Parts: sequence; C-alpha cells; structure tokens
Amino acid sequence: MGGPTLEQAPATTRTESYYVARRRAYRLFLYILMLAGCAIMLLPFFWMVTTSFKTELEAMRMPPQWIPGTWLWQNYPDALARAPFGRYFFNSFFVSILSTIGEVFTTILAAYAFAKMRFFGKGFLFALLLGTMMIPGEMLLIPNYVTLVRLNWFDHYQGLIIPWLASVFGIFLLRQFFRSLPDELWDSARIDGCRRFRYLWTVVVPLSKPAILTVALLKFLGSWNAYQWVLLMTNSQSMRTIPVGLTMFSSDIGTEYQLLMAASVVAILPILILFFFTQKQFIQGVARTGIK
Amino acid sequence: MLRRMMWVGLAALVVFGMATIAQEPVTIEFWHAMSSGHQPNLQKLVDDFVAEYPYITVTLVYQGGYGTLQGKVDAAVVAGNLPAIAQVYENWVTPIESILYPIGNFMTDEEKADILDGLVASNTYNGVLTTVPFNKSIMVLYYNKSLVATPPTTWAEFYEMAKALTVDLDGDGKIDRYGTAFRPAANPEQFLIFLEQAGGSILNADWTEVTLNNDAGQAAAQFVGSLIPYSYVTSEYMSDHIKDAAMFVDTSAGIGYNVKAATNAGFELGVATLPAGPANYNSMIQGTNLAVFDTPNLTQAQKDAAVLLARFLLRAENTVFWAEKSGYQPVTKSAYNTEEWLDYVSSHDYQVPMSEQMLNAFAQILHPNYGDMRNVLSTGFEEIMRSVVPPLEGLENMAAEIEALLE
Repeated sequence: MGGPTLEQAPATTRTESYYVARRRAYRLFLYILMLAGCAIMLLPFFWMVTTSFKTELEAMRMPPQWIPGTWLWQNYPDALARAPFGRYFFNSFFVSILSTIGEVFTTILAAYAFAKMRFFGKGFLFALLLGTMMIPGEMLLIPNYVTLVRLNWFDHYQGLIIPWLASVFGIFLLRQFFRSLPDELWDSARIDGCRRFRYLWTVVVPLSKPAILTVALLKFLGSWNAYQWVLLMTNSQSMRTIPVGLTMFSSDIGTEYQLLMAASVVAILPILILFFFTQKQFIQGVARTGIK
Repeated sequence: MLRRMMWVGLAALVVFGMATIAQEPVTIEFWHAMSSGHQPNLQKLVDDFVAEYPYITVTLVYQGGYGTLQGKVDAAVVAGNLPAIAQVYENWVTPIESILYPIGNFMTDEEKADILDGLVASNTYNGVLTTVPFNKSIMVLYYNKSLVATPPTTWAEFYEMAKALTVDLDGDGKIDRYGTAFRPAANPEQFLIFLEQAGGSILNADWTEVTLNNDAGQAAAQFVGSLIPYSYVTSEYMSDHIKDAAMFVDTSAGIGYNVKAATNAGFELGVATLPAGPANYNSMIQGTNLAVFDTPNLTQAQKDAAVLLARFLLRAENTVFWAEKSGYQPVTKSAYNTEEWLDYVSSHDYQVPMSEQMLNAFAQILHPNYGDMRNVLSTGFEEIMRSVVPPLEGLENMAAEIEALLE
C-alpha cells in the first residue's frame, strides 16, 4: 500500500482562535437570523402603531408610508369616541376573566379524571370528547343561539360566559401534562391519608402551573378576541366587547385604517401587558406539553 | 238636545280613545350594518323620525358587517326573536318571504310609484311591494383621468383602451399597469353586468330554465375572456389597487375611498356610465333594502311603527340627506328633482353619471336560491378571470351548477 500513513499526513493545526472565531461567526449568523425573524414578526405591529398616527390619506398609501408625515394624536380620541369603548373594555375583561377562571376549573377536573382515574368507558368517552373537536363551530352557532335564547340568556352575561366554561382542547392539553406526573406521588399522598380532591389541588395543580397557565392564557386570548358569538348573542351596546367595536371602522367598500389601528393599539395593550408578565410560564407550558 | 250632546260626547270619547291608542308608546329595533362613519347620519334620521312620532322609540342595533347581519337574521328566524325592521339583501329574505310584512300594502300609490323603476322589481314578491330600498349604490366606471381622456362608451372601445393601457413601464417583462381590473370572487356582479348588457340573464322569466349559457351569455363570457390579458385580478378593495389599473368597474358607494386613493397616487379620478354592450349599458344595483318582519314576537304596533319608519326614510328629503352623507344614491324619483339634490350634483360632478346609471339599472333576481347561485358565479367568474378554465367552459360549468340549484 503506497498511501500516506497517519504519521505522514499533513498536520492541520487549528488553533483555539480558529474555533472561537467560528463560534462567533455562527452566533452572529444566528443573531442575524433571529433579528430578521423578529423584524418580520414585529413589522405588522410597527405598521399598526405608526398607522394609528397617520392621516387617512397616508394610511391608504400603497406602498405603505411607514412613518407618518405628522403624528396625528387626534386619531385616538376620534376612534374611541366612535363607540362606548370604556364599556366594551369592561365587558371584555369581565367576560374573559370569568370564562378563564371557569374553564380552568372544569378543565382541571376533567383532565385529571381522564389522566389519572380509572372508570368504565374512559377511553371511549375521551375519544368522544375529542370527536367533538371535529364539528365546525359554525354548525353549532345557530343551535346554540336558539338554545340560549330559549333559556332567556340572550343579551345577558350568562350567554357570553357559561357556554364557554368547558374546553375539549384544554382538557386534552392538561391531560397530556397530568399523565407525565409520576403515580408514586399519588401513592405516597394516599399513604399519608390524602384524598383525591385534596391531592389534585395541593399536589397536581401546583406541579402543573405552566400547563395550567397556558390553558388560561389561551382561553383569555380566545375570549378577548371573540367576535362572532358576542355579536350574535347581544344587541345592546352595554353588553358588547372590544372586537365588536373594532368592526365599526370597516364596511364592504373600505376601511378607516388610521382609526381602526388607533382602536386596535388600545385593544391589544392589556393582552400585551398580560403576556409580558406571564411569558415565562406561557413558553414553558407550551414547550412541556408539546403544543405549538 | 240631550241626544245630540250624547252623540258629540261619544264621538269625542272615540276620537280621544283612538288618539290614546295611537299614542301608546312602542319600541322597535332596527338592525343594520352601517359602519361607525355612517351611524351619526342614520341616528339623525331616526331622531327626526322620533321627533315626528314621539310615541315611537327606535333602537338602532349595529350587527357588524353584512355577513354577520345575515347570520344574525338567519339565527333570529329560527329562534323567533327578529327585530321589527332590518337592512337586508334580496337573497337573504327570498327564502323567508312568507314572514315579511308587506310594507307596500301600507303605502300610498304615489309613494310606491315614486320608487325608482329599477328598484321596484327586486322588492316585489308575488306582485306586492314587500321590502323597500334603502342604501343603494350602482356600479359605474372609474378611470384615471391622466390616462383616459374620454371614457369608453362601448364594449369595443373599452376593449381597445384596456389593451392600449396595459403596459410594462420599466421594461422588465412584467406588466406594471393593466387596462382594467376585476374582483371576481368578491364581486360576481361585474359578470352579471356584461350578461345584462349582452341581453342575457341567469334564468328565463319564470325561473324554469337556465339561460346563462345562451348566445348572450356566451357573448358576455367571450368578452370577459378577451379582457383577461389586460385585467388585474384581485379580491381586495379596488381603492387598494388604484394604481394597478387605468379603469375599473366599482360601486358608486366606494367613491370616497377611490378618490382618496387616487389623490394618494397622484392622479384625478373620473367617473362615467358603463360602456354599452350589444343590448344596453345597464348596470347592476347594489346595496340593501328594508324589511319589516311579521313574526309572533312582534306586536301589531311594532310592525306599524316599522312601516312608518320605512316610509319616512323613503321621503325625498330623507333619501337625499342619506345619499349626500353616505355616498349611496337616492332611491326615489322625486328625490332626483329636489333643489337640494340638484345643488349637490352641481358641486359633485361625479354624481351626474351615477344618477344617469341609477336610472339605467337592473337588480338581482328574487329566486330563493339566488344566494347559492351567486356563490357559483363568484367561483366560476374567478376561475375564468384567473385562466383556470377557458371562458366558455367556465360558463358551461356555472350553468350546470345553477341548473342543479333549480331542481
């Protein structure tokens, strides 16, 4: 064999500085990539905020004018004067908070039962529950409307809250999380004389905080953004929520973008604040339950 | 003498009693889909009405866009909680015509005769004027005045101009500005206009046969097909694409947005009546009507009050006020002759072709399945304009699907 031996191979001397430079280049590439992703994600928000200060002509300009010629603060009072937004805010908070608390409560109970308890037909019931997710919401809209009108819940908070106190998706999400908790916890709790209900609230729930917060946050967002159901179930201004108010700036012939964006900025503020305070738990919850 | 006094007293009692009954307070809901820009004007009309009929309270209830209003009306039909009066498109109420309270039966002949001819048929069920027009607009031709000196008056001129105005301005091999533009998915009425102008219609007069694909339909489809290379196709507002086409057909109600978009783009926008086809230059009426419902949840007094409101809104001064403030068109003949409207037209020259077009117009048919037919036209017209299918094949497909809806 005439090939070079290991000893004879040319020495490739890669110094420490080479690896440091390579790591830095890789990190730089990653940061550029993340910054680009960040810019893409933030661009609509940037457009929303700057458009909320534009004149009507500037808001309609195509390609978009990114920075307003003059910053028109008046858009905010003008937009908020178009509808009773104060009341809409109260309703959005009231409905979202109560729906969230209610859903989290029912979801924890159901998810625990499906994850950790043994009962006849559990698998079948769970499949049945998941099956309901396949029914398009639009199909249920009119039957639900008729039911609630007959219950005399039309144009009342009950109609906006009670039908949304249970969520199959939430049950599924929490069940997956609860299943990952070791059964030994329950065994030792039982030995100490703990009963199921107490075990659930003192052991399982604290251990599942990230997942529960995810369920709560998703619910809050969904409830905050709910539009069609609120519009369907209410007639009075005093019962309506923020998303209904936002539609008032659009028609089939055009949209008053500058006013819509001003109202939208105000509308998303509470959600942004909520997210800033809970983002750690939210991301943990999403990562642990594998929900994207 | 005593007997006479008794009769007078009795008559006074009857008159007093009737007056008391007539003035019994009544509250009605008016469901609408007018965005917040229009709401103060609608509220003003309602306030004027209430000032004239102080015993009636009208609650304006905003129900989102037209889609959500339709959903709500549909749901309320099932649940039995319809309002006394609502804005409706023809195809929403044709399937539920039996629960409409015929407004025309409570109008004078003079009032009925005053409604624009093009609007009567689309509000008449079984020979009775049942609903009445409210916020109506008309499709007209918008054009870029810096590119189009004289707007086209015939299909042939329209075609030639669309072809000449389709250009690749920077020489990169891509067209930068088209001669015309269409929103087929959102506005299949653009195709129905060509069909009407060719002398055609979707169905025959007694709705027993599909006529969409007859000679007139084929002429319309072929004309549309000839425009494909010179047409910008979008599903968005035309005002968002004002620079992409030199001329386009759009609703008169969009004038405000279109003019602002043109100003932004640096040109002046012109408005003209539509170019004429082989049969006529008719355009299609857009917008909603007012329906009063006749359901058990409503009292006779509520239905009467709703009829009064509908009649009030038809008065010349009110339909003119609404038109001036909203950009919709007046709906009665007398309105077009009022001093107020003539003054308005003299200072808004685009209203001249719009008014002319309003008098040369047609409306949608009142077939109960028109909503589904419109969906077929929407998809079919989109497929033709995006060259998914050849125009005549697309026409045949639409005709076959509409045929199935007749069965």
